[in-house]
Amino acid sequence: MICNEMGRVIFNKEISEGIYKTAFDAPLISSCSLPGQFINILPEPNWNQVMRRPMSIASQGNDQISIIYKAIGGGTYIMADWKIGEMVDLIGPLGNYWKGYEATFPILIGGGVGIAPILNLHHDLLEKNIEHILIMGARNGKEHFLQHKPEKQIYMSTDDGSLGIKGNVVDAVQCIYPTQNLPGNAKIFSCGPPLMMESVRSYSLKNQLKCDLALETIMACGIGICQGCTIERKVDTQVKHSYRSRFALSCMDGPIFSAEEIISCE
Amino acid sequence: MRIKINNIEFESPLLTASGTYGYGHEVQDLVKVNEWGGIITKSVTRHPREGNPPPRISETSSGMLNSIGLANLGVDKYCKEIIPFLNKLKTRVIINIAGSAIEDYLETMDILESGNGKHVGYEINISCPNVKKGGMEFGVSTSMTEKLTLEMRRRTKRLLIMKLGPNVTRIEDIAKAAETGGADALSAINSVVGMAIDIKSRKPKLYTNYGGLSGPAIKPIAIANVHKVFNAVNIPIIGIGGVATVSDVIEFLLAGASLVQIGTMCYQNPNLGPQMKDELSQYLKSQGIDDLCELIGGVESHSN
Repeated sequence: MICNEMGRVIFNKEISEGIYKTAFDAPLISSCSLPGQFINILPEPNWNQVMRRPMSIASQGNDQISIIYKAIGGGTYIMADWKIGEMVDLIGPLGNYWKGYEATFPILIGGGVGIAPILNLHHDLLEKNIEHILIMGARNGKEHFLQHKPEKQIYMSTDDGSLGIKGNVVDAVQCIYPTQNLPGNAKIFSCGPPLMMESVRSYSLKNQLKCDLALETIMACGIGICQGCTIERKVDTQVKHSYRSRFALSCMDGPIFSAEEIISCE
Repeated sequence: MRIKINNIEFESPLLTASGTYGYGHEVQDLVKVNEWGGIITKSVTRHPREGNPPPRISETSSGMLNSIGLANLGVDKYCKEIIPFLNKLKTRVIINIAGSAIEDYLETMDILESGNGKHVGYEINISCPNVKKGGMEFGVSTSMTEKLTLEMRRRTKRLLIMKLGPNVTRIEDIAKAAETGGADALSAINSVVGMAIDIKSRKPKLYTNYGGLSGPAIKPIAIANVHKVFNAVNIPIIGIGGVATVSDVIEFLLAGASLVQIGTMCYQNPNLGPQMKDELSQYLKSQGIDDLCELIGGVESHSN
């Protein structure tokens, strides 16, 4: 069930450099959201731009949902400025959700603005007592808001080595599990910037690891109408393809796709 | 607030613009579909179309560029899967048809006419800027526009509305050709050809390089075109282009539109039409306007 609900802002703070967390009282959306899904947000009433801002849900439950985002442009600057008590127009929950982690050893990889759905899955797996590891990548330590805790299977990686493992998230996986030591039933679940996702995708394909990726695309409606948020699937280019077979819609068929089914994350 | 085109009455002058509301079933959880004056469905073509490769959309100042490329499931599936849903709606349904050759348009209409649809009319897309072949080549030629309109007129007694685009030298000439061909009404305007470039990569933001600009950014272009068409023909006009508020609706009516379509802003607010319906009737009451018709073409142009 997709709801259009006015969410009341109950928390809105910068949790690391340029990265904000907002929590809403939004009982309708909260009650039907699953980890991996997203909401489409109108930053302010009478906004002069035509597109809402799609944001992954970082947590749901107890009548609340939260999002984590980077303040990078017009829409997210307005969001970063929301005051407690402000009512915000939300549509959701939208899209598909994380699944297929039972009987696997999940390797969760998040980076940049893609941390929200990965954190959500992390908490879900903790609740379900499914053993897994969590790797979060960033350029430097200031961008991280979690602690590097290898003893709890939580790893931070930074490009400059200022926190946790030095290198990108794929370097981190290889550092934690040299290829021969990867658990046989390992499966990657990942969300992050396009370049990071593409390296995760090629790593998974090279090592024949199952891998699900939550992709970010430009999106207008979020509900399957505008047909703008396309993701290209691998298909036989000789064959004439029909509506939505070659060009999937991120909002309806995604945002989560398997590494094998798509052409690229970039 | 009721408006009539021929013998078809619309409960409200606010319709959804083609391509911005899907087929209506996508949003039924979310939206009071029947509170719209009518639904104009996403373009249907003779055969299924996968549409253009991504990226297909890009946000611009108060608007957006799109190059979807008429992605749709084709008329055969449309009849099986979409018409049964549309038949259940209480609001007026107008089916938008697109094509790349005259036969495509005619065959698509023949198939729809032989089915059991309860739609009240057709809007014919002869001005899509986003497909390589077709659409726009009809809409830029007066003789092709007249011929296509005439052929379609022979095939249906339902409302026949030709959708005109602004990407022509003189929209008035195309409008007159459609009127001569037997159109009941004209929709104006389709999206405006536009381009946006990523300065970092130096690549266009759309795969197709050019796309169709829509949203509030194009409203003045739409108003001018509606006004030109209004002065050129004697059939009703359905105004389209960046409608976001009740005052935009009034502006379109004054320029000469009898009905108004809301498009791109539905992405921001899928319930815009139903919400504006109430606001519009309050506005009319507050202004002492009993009949919307008195606004149509009521602009008092400067005489120069």
